[in-house]
Amino acid sequence: MPPNLLPADRRRSNPFATRHTRPGAVPPLDPAGAPLRVEVVLAALERHRRVAIVGPHGTGKSTLLAGLAASLAADRQPAEVVRLRRRRDALRLIGMVARGTADTTLLVDGWERLGRPMAVLIAAIVRLQGRRMVVTSHRANGMPVAVRTAGTLPLLTAIVGRLPDHGGLISGDDLSDAFARHGENLRDALGDLYDRYELRSRRS
Amino acid sequence: MRLPRFFSKKRGHRRTGSEVWGSVGEAIFHATLMVAGVAFGGLLLTGIAVPEWRINHDFLESRGTVVGKGLARRSTGGPAASRASWQASVRLRYPAGAEAAEAWAFAGPQESDRARALERLDRLKLGEELVCWYDPARPAQVVLSRGYNWWMWALTLLLPGALLAFGGAGLARSLGRWGRSEERQAATGQRPRDPLAEGPASTTGHPAIPSCEDLVNSPGTILRYRLPIESPESWTLLGLGLFAVLWNTVVALLAVNAGLDLLGGRIDWLLLAVLVPFVVVGVAGVVAFTRSLVLATAVGTTQLEISAHPLRPGGTYEALLAQGGTGAFRDLEMSLELEERATFRQGTDTRTERLVVWKSPLGSWQGLQLSPGTRFEARATIHVPAAAMHSFASEHNAVHWRIVIRGRPTRWPAFIRTFPVVVFPQSPGEPAA
Amino acid sequence: MTHLPDPVRQHPSVTVQFCSPDRHYEPLQPIAVRYVVELPSGQVARAVERSIVWYTEGKGEEDIGVHSFERLTDRVTAEAKTGGFESRLPASPLSYEGVIVKIRWCVRVRLFFDAGRDFVSEHVFDLGHVPAAAFPGRP
Repeated sequence: MPPNLLPADRRRSNPFATRHTRPGAVPPLDPAGAPLRVEVVLAALERHRRVAIVGPHGTGKSTLLAGLAASLAADRQPAEVVRLRRRRDALRLIGMVARGTADTTLLVDGWERLGRPMAVLIAAIVRLQGRRMVVTSHRANGMPVAVRTAGTLPLLTAIVGRLPDHGGLISGDDLSDAFARHGENLRDALGDLYDRYELRSRRS
Repeated sequence: MRLPRFFSKKRGHRRTGSEVWGSVGEAIFHATLMVAGVAFGGLLLTGIAVPEWRINHDFLESRGTVVGKGLARRSTGGPAASRASWQASVRLRYPAGAEAAEAWAFAGPQESDRARALERLDRLKLGEELVCWYDPARPAQVVLSRGYNWWMWALTLLLPGALLAFGGAGLARSLGRWGRSEERQAATGQRPRDPLAEGPASTTGHPAIPSCEDLVNSPGTILRYRLPIESPESWTLLGLGLFAVLWNTVVALLAVNAGLDLLGGRIDWLLLAVLVPFVVVGVAGVVAFTRSLVLATAVGTTQLEISAHPLRPGGTYEALLAQGGTGAFRDLEMSLELEERATFRQGTDTRTERLVVWKSPLGSWQGLQLSPGTRFEARATIHVPAAAMHSFASEHNAVHWRIVIRGRPTRWPAFIRTFPVVVFPQSPGEPAA
Repeated sequence: MTHLPDPVRQHPSVTVQFCSPDRHYEPLQPIAVRYVVELPSGQVARAVERSIVWYTEGKGEEDIGVHSFERLTDRVTAEAKTGGFESRLPASPLSYEGVIVKIRWCVRVRLFFDAGRDFVSEHVFDLGHVPAAAFPGRP
């Protein structure tokens, strides 16, 4: 029973839409564009108990954290994930820390949003509990750095290679140009490529 | 927990510009009110509550002999409407520790009736012994009665309490409103979505179409509805005005305190040090408010009425534009626009992109000359395309229709005023309006 | 569109047939869907979820609206190789091909297996006749 198909132009999905580029949709990659094995982070976590993934905006920190969460879930290791985007999330983190158990790994995205006093307090409580914790941050924050992320052209090229097919509407020059305009912030570079694809797909 | 809302906009919730900066501005406004409440409350506590507490806890009891009597007179109000009050007073001689002290003490409350105050004074006799309490740190300060004036406490704490409640509730609401949805877990690499996550209010029977109740609750004077404006100008003006009034009230109280000290021959350097930055901020607040007020007054209000609402694809409607102000306008333009709005949050970034994907001019007028008390009025016809997309709003994405007025006064900065409208989808089987 | 949540070597497949040949529907029109499940040998689904949803796509974070949702945990239904369901579509939102905001309707069939693994199959259809938005500056 063949599926009923729609004309192709109605079904074109922009490969740079957030549903394809969000953390977790693309596996974590290193600055050279090669798969970044979460075992690197896990090994550092075993050694230091609390580690950080450090790097500028849009360089894959959240993606790596999402990959780590998936890996822990696949191994049936309990983990809690908190993304600090709003003030309410900091309260949620405090609640998690307060009622947490030593065997649950804490994964915190956006550690720098906590502010120094709160960060010091939570780190101290987590240390007392004996819990493992992985945080993402734009700067080194006193924790051992498990991975330093960086936005590079090879990384951008590798990410685009893992997105749905763009049908030849995006060239290597487009990638170089987008990277040159937005520097290390690959999220902005992908947004730039979204606009280019959208414009050209309507024209073609 | 539902927090009290001390004011709400008549036509509901609208936010323009950056969602983040809007929330930040709102939070700063409420935080400022809280600070004013704390400062005002602090002043009242130190001026009234603390002295009263000291009288009841620190003062030592003694027995004083009345060696003199008199009426203390106070005048309130300006020279043109001066009012006097009278208070019975006695001069007491009393032992204060190892020494003898002599000081005046009030022997009753303030009376507006001099005769009543005299009557109270006559009941006290020279040589009479009275129980009194004196300040061990300053023996020359003595009182004849103790206790707490609870009514005074309630009244004097009312204003700072109101500021604290208003500012605190607003601040808590601003902070709480920064996130309504649950975080999406990425533990399995997928994003489980909560179908029941709270989003914008929808019209009943039309999922994901924003409610237009707030847009149709104001009748027009000529056409059926008067549309509300989506602009921060009036709220900025109100916020600046409230801030200037409240802040300068605090400054005035501090200045009066400092002035009284100076007249009494004392210089409170700490108070003066605090006063200087407060005065600077107060003056800046007044300047900012005045400037905004002048701009708003000079440019004038923009009003828009429409013949029907909500709009439907294929429909034709009438709009009436009324522009107030003074002076010359290079031009005034009205257009119907369709704007897409996408909010993306990830990590510590929050970004909202806006894109006008369709625009249709409705009218353009050049070389206008406006005078105070008169308005420029013009009518225009709105055609909504038959295949137009309806209005849409979800938590992070939106498709908004709006009527935009762009004006370029000759002497003042250009302005843009936006009037949101809602376009419904065409009902199945229904011909175009 | 079908995808796997992790690099699993086995490949379930779900094929969906719509009652409308061009997968185009009008608001308030009934929709009927039949699906066929193909699983690698030895694999058995323990539950199935069938839903009709709209979602946004574009530059913003994804939003989703669930129009109909059904979770079936009885083994017979879950193990059945074919199935079907019906619904009446709502008046809105209509499918929309915007520039930075797109609205898509789809049928989703999600199969659940042991060990917490699942597989989701998504099949897009159109609601309404709204033309694609032009890129600003282009006709």
